[in-house]
Amino acid sequence: MSSMSFQEKSAWGTLASLLVIGALYFSSVANLWRAEQLHMASMFGLSVGFTVLLVMVLVGFHIIVAAISGAENEDERDRLIAWRSGHIGGIVLGFGVVSIVLMIIGGGMVDSTLWQSPVIIANALMAMVFIATVVELALTIWFHRRGI
Amino acid sequence: MPGNITNRVRELRQAGAGMTQQQLAEAVGVSRQTIIAIESGRYSPSLEVALKIARTFGHPVEAIFSLEDDAD
Repeated sequence: MSSMSFQEKSAWGTLASLLVIGALYFSSVANLWRAEQLHMASMFGLSVGFTVLLVMVLVGFHIIVAAISGAENEDERDRLIAWRSGHIGGIVLGFGVVSIVLMIIGGGMVDSTLWQSPVIIANALMAMVFIATVVELALTIWFHRRGI
Repeated sequence: MPGNITNRVRELRQAGAGMTQQQLAEAVGVSRQTIIAIESGRYSPSLEVALKIARTFGHPVEAIFSLEDDAD
């Protein structure tokens, strides 16, 4: 751990938290879907609850890391890594949003009540934000470990 | 991408009385992890940082950083 910069530790903690809490969120959504209880109100409650949980976990994690090893200012390498991983994460997000638009149009021709349902669209967008963020964090760790 | 620029940062840092990675990092204004990445060839620094490293060691920048092709 001591060979890691604060930014790399932050990326590891954020990625791990996001994977665990994201898995809990999407499994809860799936359970509600199977029980036919997935409505906008329940989804709103779930997303707000899991977002608050994620923020609390991340704030706690960063306070602990900063207390143990000290926070560091970003230098040029950290900024380059953040820019490059963020750039690729943005491309993934853009690709995902276009895919969802195609899903809405294409799926709507087959079954508009399913594919144009606000709950489905909202969860598809949430999933794409989740995937893009995971890609960005994984690349941040990769560039810190393997070079940029 | 890193790999085509070689450097003598570790060699010069350890020469003479020696200098820790942390001391060099503070002199140049980057993190110790960035010095580690430069020494291991995983990161090629900006011109500004390369010039600061050169000034710290008292050598011209081309005596510290070189293209791999220059060795041919």
